[in-house]
Amino acid sequence: MNATRVRAVIRRIIDQFRHDRRSLALLFLVPIVISGLLGWIMTSQATPTPRVAAVVGDTLLRASVSAALNGAATDGLIVDLGLLDDEQVARTMLRAGDADTVLLMPSGTAASVASGQRPTITLLTLGVDAARDSAAAGTAQKLLAAMFAARGAAIALPLVVHGTIFGKPEPTQLDILGPVFIGFFAYFLVFILTGISFLRERTGGTLERLMATPITRMEIVTGYSIGFGLFAMLQVIVFLVFSLASVTVPAIGPLPSFGLGLGIYNAGSPLLVFAVTLLSALGAVNLAIFLSTFARTEFQIVQFIPLVIVPQAFLAGIFWPIATLPPVLQVIARLLPLTYTIEGLRAIMIRGADLTDTTLQVDVLFLAGVALVFAVMATRTIRREVA
Amino acid sequence: MDAAAVEARGLVKRFGTLTAVDGIDLSLAPGRIYGLLGPNGSGKTTLIRLLAGLAIPTAGEAIVLGVRMPSASQLSRIGYMTQSDGLYPELTIWENLRFFGALYGITDRPSLEAALETVQLADRAGTPVMELSGGMRRRVSLACALVHRPAVLFLDEPTVGIDPTMRVQFWGHFRQLAAAGATILVSSHVMDEADRCDELVLVRNGKVVDQGTGAEIRERAGTNDLEEAFLRYAERLGGGNGDAPLPSRGSAR
Repeated sequence: MNATRVRAVIRRIIDQFRHDRRSLALLFLVPIVISGLLGWIMTSQATPTPRVAAVVGDTLLRASVSAALNGAATDGLIVDLGLLDDEQVARTMLRAGDADTVLLMPSGTAASVASGQRPTITLLTLGVDAARDSAAAGTAQKLLAAMFAARGAAIALPLVVHGTIFGKPEPTQLDILGPVFIGFFAYFLVFILTGISFLRERTGGTLERLMATPITRMEIVTGYSIGFGLFAMLQVIVFLVFSLASVTVPAIGPLPSFGLGLGIYNAGSPLLVFAVTLLSALGAVNLAIFLSTFARTEFQIVQFIPLVIVPQAFLAGIFWPIATLPPVLQVIARLLPLTYTIEGLRAIMIRGADLTDTTLQVDVLFLAGVALVFAVMATRTIRREVA
Repeated sequence: MDAAAVEARGLVKRFGTLTAVDGIDLSLAPGRIYGLLGPNGSGKTTLIRLLAGLAIPTAGEAIVLGVRMPSASQLSRIGYMTQSDGLYPELTIWENLRFFGALYGITDRPSLEAALETVQLADRAGTPVMELSGGMRRRVSLACALVHRPAVLFLDEPTVGIDPTMRVQFWGHFRQLAAAGATILVSSHVMDEADRCDELVLVRNGKVVDQGTGAEIRERAGTNDLEEAFLRYAERLGGGNGDAPLPSRGSAR
């Protein structure tokens, strides 16, 4: 390994970025736009208060249902649409979008409760939005509990308070997703940058010329890893600062005050977050060099994205916990580098893990191993040239 | 006969069923310019790649300065100008040269400047390569192949896309380098460049059909016209169908 030659490759990559101002700007703009947008959506996602009505067939219950709806509306839980005449009216209202949830209580409900049976109460929703429907069900449960508690005045329902071992008791979606998207986007962006850059090297005839010089394959891969690692590093820093910091910019003139940075919850060391993200980005650099052998055009490199990035996004525990995947997919997930990136980042950011944590140790070792294996594989592909 | 700078012994390179180089024997003496002539697809580039150590022969051997290729130790003594420019378009002339220089361990300013001087681009050093004309890019490409003062130079169609004035200058450089002891193998399919070479190697279908000075080849072929000579060799070998025709004299591609 000759330091002058490795340095020459690194310097060249820096020079290329320096001349390509737009790419350089995008390198910084992309994390800000993505994390800004995501943060904006997730922190200010106002769930509209559900509009609830009831159709009560049991005359004994009318007054207390009406009171319960009224009470919930006073507490701000729901918008009270009152009692409706029959199910048909309720269905029409739901379909027209005039109501979100309707409770259907058949006649005899009160009597069967009193005799210790379990009557069926139907919860009617539009059924097009799973998240809102489950929220509606929750609201209905609370409503019923309140109602029956009011009737049998002696029973006092306990108040449930949520406590957590890790993380904040009332996390926003962003706190849980934060670690994920820092790791995911850094991996994704570095993969594309390196892939296209190295493909150009292959198609532009410069790799042919490189091979005619004394530079070794390992020196090329090392130079690339450090060069692109450097830019990955800058990008990760932008991501981190923007994700972890939270600054409120005061109102200036006509501009309203606004928040900058997402203030994502991070229990661990930002340095460790940085190190894990960088390690996974290095794996992406080498994977991209390796895969660029199998592409002839930049188009094809872009087509590798659904092949390389999307399955990792699905299986790495971003959307669905790995433990809930089918067994075969769990095995596959355990082979994917992004799984370890995200597991590691979550361990640090949510549990506050440090390097004494065994999970994190495994994650770091696996990522380092992946970077190394792909570095060797990338080296192997360099000589295999077309004539 | 003194030691050859470049030698090929029974060199063969196959790609699947295609035999690009089909048993070539060559011996190139130091300080001379050799012209490698042949139609498109005759195996010129593959032969150069084998000699430069960029491809592994299927059979036979390529020897440069006494060492069998591919050999890492010889790479710093070989200059190779590819058919494509092989430059980084977004980088300036100077940055390209500095990069390739560094790969050969040449980092001092005077050496880099001398290479630029050779191709007369010293005043354009700060221009990005993508803003240059095709001919200028060829000059930058040549400078990158010369920067380490190689003893052996392989130039694959160096004058493609270059105007006649510049072509004369290019040949001037080649002559200077040869006078300084370098062995130069220039591939071309432009016949009017042939007479600038000390010796010619005619290849067709991966085989050497004749080798010698321009005069010798003309005499053997029984014609005064090299292009004519080439066509006669083609007839003698039979076939000739399916080959790209040689471009007419003076056409630059």
